[in-house]
Amino acid sequence: MNILVCIKQVPDMESKFKVNGEGNWYDSAGLAWRMNEYDEYAVEQAVQLKEQAGGDLTVLCIGPERVKETMKKALAMGCDRGVHVADDDSYKKDPFSIASIIAEHAKTKSYDVIFTGLQSQDRGSAQVGVLTAESLGIPSVTTIVGFEFANGTITVKRELEGGVKAVVKLPVPALVTCQLGLNTPRYPTLPNIMKAKKKELITVAVADLLKESALEETQALYFPEKKGGGLVLEGDIGEMADKLIKILKEKTAVLA
Amino acid sequence: MEATREIYWNVGHGWTTLVPMYLLTIAAIGVLAYGGMQRVKVYRLGKPIDRTDDLWQRIADAAATVLGQAKVIRVRWPGLAHGAFFWSFFVLFIGTSLIVLQADFSDLLFDIKFLKGTFYKLFSISLDLAGLLALVGMGALFVRRYLVNSAALDSNWNDAFMHGLLFLILLTGFVIEGARMAVTELGTPLSYWSPVGLVFAKAMSGMEATGLQQLHVFTWWFHLLLVMVFIVSIPFTKFRHIATIALNMVFADRGPIGKLQTIELENEEAESFGAVQLTDLSWKDIFDTDACIKCRRCQDRCPAYATDKPLSPMKVVSDLGGVAFSPTPDANLIETVGRDALWSCTTCRACQDICPAGVEHVGKIVEMRRNLVLMEGEFPGDEVMTAMEATEVNGNPLGMGYASRGDWADNLGIKTLDEDAEVDILYFVGCYASFDKRNIAVARSFVALCQAAGIKVGILGKEEKCCGEPMRKMGNEYLYQSQAMENIETIKAYGVKKIVTTCPHCFNTLEKDYRDLGLTAEVVPYVVFLEQLIASGRLQLKSEGFSCTYHDSCYLGRHNGIYQPPRTLIAKAGGQITEMGRNRDQAFCCSAGGGRILAEEKLGSRINIKRVQMATEAKADVLVSNCPFCLTMFEDGVKGAGVEESLRPRDIAEILVERVVQPSARG
Repeated sequence: MNILVCIKQVPDMESKFKVNGEGNWYDSAGLAWRMNEYDEYAVEQAVQLKEQAGGDLTVLCIGPERVKETMKKALAMGCDRGVHVADDDSYKKDPFSIASIIAEHAKTKSYDVIFTGLQSQDRGSAQVGVLTAESLGIPSVTTIVGFEFANGTITVKRELEGGVKAVVKLPVPALVTCQLGLNTPRYPTLPNIMKAKKKELITVAVADLLKESALEETQALYFPEKKGGGLVLEGDIGEMADKLIKILKEKTAVLA
Repeated sequence: MEATREIYWNVGHGWTTLVPMYLLTIAAIGVLAYGGMQRVKVYRLGKPIDRTDDLWQRIADAAATVLGQAKVIRVRWPGLAHGAFFWSFFVLFIGTSLIVLQADFSDLLFDIKFLKGTFYKLFSISLDLAGLLALVGMGALFVRRYLVNSAALDSNWNDAFMHGLLFLILLTGFVIEGARMAVTELGTPLSYWSPVGLVFAKAMSGMEATGLQQLHVFTWWFHLLLVMVFIVSIPFTKFRHIATIALNMVFADRGPIGKLQTIELENEEAESFGAVQLTDLSWKDIFDTDACIKCRRCQDRCPAYATDKPLSPMKVVSDLGGVAFSPTPDANLIETVGRDALWSCTTCRACQDICPAGVEHVGKIVEMRRNLVLMEGEFPGDEVMTAMEATEVNGNPLGMGYASRGDWADNLGIKTLDEDAEVDILYFVGCYASFDKRNIAVARSFVALCQAAGIKVGILGKEEKCCGEPMRKMGNEYLYQSQAMENIETIKAYGVKKIVTTCPHCFNTLEKDYRDLGLTAEVVPYVVFLEQLIASGRLQLKSEGFSCTYHDSCYLGRHNGIYQPPRTLIAKAGGQITEMGRNRDQAFCCSAGGGRILAEEKLGSRINIKRVQMATEAKADVLVSNCPFCLTMFEDGVKGAGVEESLRPRDIAEILVERVVQPSARG
């Protein structure tokens, strides 16, 4: 089994964000970096699949030099080799460009299963996985919270609105995007951290893989405007409940 | 006639006595040696560790501890009973040795007798009274073990056998003496130098001389046989503690107290880290299990055990001993001890501190945790793994953005070393005082105190990382070392000479653990630093009365013996301390040591609430502590115990800063 997992390095969400000089993304100074949370589920599932079915597991990440640190964690978790697509401007790329880069890499490698996160914590487009599958002409399922593989067939659970789950079967090759609840990502063991330092980690220039033009461009990034404060109800519980119902009726549609 | 007695009176000193006696003795010592060697083989399964450096000093210290029964008598009455028995048995041993020396060597070979005259009288009365004292001590221990407090001790056949054998040896000794005296000494002034023997002699004085002689010779051989049984049984019963504890004192960890073994992480040949098999432990760890006499002192002081968690330090040691001395010592140590027991430890060191056998509990527990974390990626809960990952990303277990680490010091007029490295002290703030609102108040108080004393304080700000202590105690040596290396590199680059900490965990880690990784700067805990500032007059306080109780944190207290400086500071501030029952080296942990600050306390009852209840019993208004973990736990604990209205947890620095006399106001 030949497996690919695509990860992204994102800032820790506790960081203090500032808009960059160009006004189209956040400033990367003073940020702590980590693996995109949804990609951690993807890596864990990919490693579990490899442990179950055997084969070779590649981790791919697009970004500047620093993303290698995050790739090392994926290698320590159990990926066999890494492909770093060197791109200092990856933050400017739209989901279609990113998907095209991945597809360009994947098209000659005949991966049986490709794992991605449901979305990134910073851009949150949730498009890269499905666009990659479309570019490769393979089926894809999004938002998986359960994964099984047997006899060349993947069976996944998808999370739908309101807690409803759907079970979907699809043949390999296929792509899945992973959601919270799929698994608990493992903590890398020390021997695996040490082994990861010696695993193959090749770097490819983004120009070698980017054959498509962007379809969209981020025009501006800004903090939400501060709106009026909240409303605090005080007084007798009965009165407060009456006030609340009145507000809900007047200002919302929840009681309609 | 000169005072003396005939050695081997009535028994005879010919070949018929000496040959069987010495054959028996040689056989007994042979069995002792064989049994001992069998156990040494098991100790040798452990990994090497150097515990014989500075050997003569070790032996001298061990002799002082053992002969003085220093550790045994820390628990007063049972300790003194054991001491009474030990000291008197020691006198009896010396007395018997003198007899052997005279009868079988000096007299036999050179016609020299020294057991005569005044020396004989002193010899006689010393041994006589020692025998009595031994019976009294043993009687007291018997009463405690079997009559008064039988539930407080684990008793098995070992204990009954030891009591029975020793009692018979002492009793037969007096019967022999009494029979001899009834025939040879009764009515002479010499008999008063053997008062206990005299009582036995008078009791037997109605018997015929021949009957007495028969009784004497029979009891003499029986007594000899009992002593042989004693020698033989040493390696096979708890009597072995005579040897193992004495040796364990020689092999003691000579500090620094609580410093863990630093693992060589880059060692390419290491296939396994931490302990899961017996052979992963050191020989000293295995030896410890043979020194334990199950006195329960550790268990009685364990905060986890006291709150119904599945940890007893005594059981950990006996579980490991059970594996070591089983026919096939390859059982999984972690499975045997149990994960919940291992994760429950707060590394408070109460067990190790009190242990009269010199057993080192904490290191073993951390070694097994290391195996769980480094080899299996296991933690006591997901929240702990999250904290570990947060530390990897942001250098603090709270998950706060690293760049805001220095924000607490805004408007205080102190700079980071990056801005100005010419400072009197580097304040190593720690994670809680940097990010936790309650503890930021402590950091700001400490800085204000330094400023009032004219001390120029610098901090590392966003360059400071977690010291790594909670991670290390949880077993995550890799993460600890990566944090430590970064801190040490930063500190060294600024040429820091003196570091002051407000967190005892940071202090213990920088002062002891970081030395293995190359930190050389002086490290001082804030209570000591502030005490020095007051003593030198640089810091002046006005005394304003208040009543409080004081909690000794485990890491200033038992780990560093700093008990008096904080009490001096409180007294200077006008504080009247009502001590809790468990104070100083007996203090009860707040629950957050050993990396437990990162974990939820899901098993048993809450340790912090129990400690707060102890503080409540002291009937003080304020619970003063010196550690950010303790403060956090007590703020939570007063709510849990429902006493937040009457008991206020505060740090020493907060109390002092309210009473500081600013330089401008000084007369």
